[in-house]
Amino acid sequence: MTRLHDLQLRFLDYLVGGSEDIESDIIGTDNALAEHRLGTYYNAYRIRLIDCLAVDYSALEKYLGRESFENLALDYLQHYPSRHPSVRWFGQHLPEYLRTFYRGDDREFLQELASYEWAQTMVFDAANSDSLFQLEDMAQVPPEAWPELTLQFKPAMLWLDLYWNVPVIEHAIDSVVEMPEKQRADHPQRWLMWRRDMKTCWRSLEVHEAWAIEQAASGVTFGEICEGLLEWIDAEQVALVAAGFLKQWIGDQMIIRVVNN
Amino acid sequence: MRAEHYQDILERKPKNVDWFEILSENYMIDGGKPLYFLDAIRQDYPMVMHGVSMSLGSTDELDFEYLKQLKALIERVEPQWFSDHLCWTGVDHINLHDLLPLPYTEEAVRHVAERISRVQDYIGRQMLIENLSSYITYCDDAMSEWEFLSAIADRADCYLLLDVNNIYVSSYNHHYDPIDYLEGVPAARVWQHHLAGHTNDGNLIIDTHEQDIIDPVWALYEETAKRFGPVSTMIERDGNIPALDQVLAELDQARAVAAPYYQSRS
Repeated sequence: MTRLHDLQLRFLDYLVGGSEDIESDIIGTDNALAEHRLGTYYNAYRIRLIDCLAVDYSALEKYLGRESFENLALDYLQHYPSRHPSVRWFGQHLPEYLRTFYRGDDREFLQELASYEWAQTMVFDAANSDSLFQLEDMAQVPPEAWPELTLQFKPAMLWLDLYWNVPVIEHAIDSVVEMPEKQRADHPQRWLMWRRDMKTCWRSLEVHEAWAIEQAASGVTFGEICEGLLEWIDAEQVALVAAGFLKQWIGDQMIIRVVNN
Repeated sequence: MRAEHYQDILERKPKNVDWFEILSENYMIDGGKPLYFLDAIRQDYPMVMHGVSMSLGSTDELDFEYLKQLKALIERVEPQWFSDHLCWTGVDHINLHDLLPLPYTEEAVRHVAERISRVQDYIGRQMLIENLSSYITYCDDAMSEWEFLSAIADRADCYLLLDVNNIYVSSYNHHYDPIDYLEGVPAARVWQHHLAGHTNDGNLIIDTHEQDIIDPVWALYEETAKRFGPVSTMIERDGNIPALDQVLAELDQARAVAAPYYQSRS
């Protein structure tokens, strides 16, 4: 332990936990006592990270109101102090915090709203895809090859399973449209989120498309996906439905390439 | 370079900007809009990179994962130079996301100079270190801030990003003459200036970067121009960000303040 290290630990204990041991290391002046000078850092630490959280979770902040959000953020800061050099990652554990530690009302709704907002952050700056598979590229694939093909999706795409209608609530909070009523479904609804032309897009999926995209993203062949869809779709319609999904995913710029196995 | 100005910069390509400074951490990401605008604007302007997370003064180990990402960004941007602050930002693996001052001691000089040398070896080029605005004085201090800054720069053989507003803020908060600061740093190592606004709470001045530059800071900038001659200067704005034209007007004012002294030296 060096003298410098000990000093930094006392400063850390002050900023994080409020320990006053550091005060004896600081010279106060008539116009600004040591306590006041240190308080500048104590307050700045909290304000900076609360503000950062409010940027990543702007809908949650508006939904709760600033005062409640600040209280939540301060408690989160106690449980999950930042361990990443970039402040961009500070808020990553908020959904987990809400699930594990939050004891207020609406816990499940708030956790799903936070998960949805964090997903937007992840999609916003996920890796770019140098090239995309285009609809016209489909013509290059011989029909007999399709059953064995697998799809590779872009990194800027994910999905969430949500009981609450948080995407429409979040959209309403973030715009001037009338706030819809908060609703919880008996079964979770899958929401797809992806980046297209630098814009974050989202839509809900029917259960069979939700199943198909999960299979496709895990490397299941197009032929196997068609077979699996028979659980929901008649045999004579299944190829058409699967092709429709594929066309939509390609049109939405979600697929990087098709791989011929 | 702020996200609020991306579109304006690309559309107008203002001619009275020689270069942009980017906040390195904003672009240490995988993709998306920030990197798109970074690459697009870089095609038209030189850039320098300025970081807030190197934590040169921390007693934690240097974060080589961070440095690896920084190095990759340097290779992408090809900046004229890169900089960070003479401070610590966390310890015990907790990041406090603030620029915390160091005690001005020989122990801290040795510690920080050695770490800057390791960073420069790893990145493969010299860096700039920036002086802070500070609100506290440690009992352990054994030298002035400018002696501390100069000793580290000499020992690590790095350059200085001299923030004129920070000198003003700290001189107010710690009751010293800012001219002593200017006269105490090695002119040959001064490579860049920052100018910014701040907030006075009545007892202390807080370095908020949310206001216009005040007249006493302009006057101090004139003193720096007298002493150091032509030095690249950047206007910082982190909050309450105005329209691009207002920032450009401050940049023109900086040019006007410094111009007489640049000409007399050339």
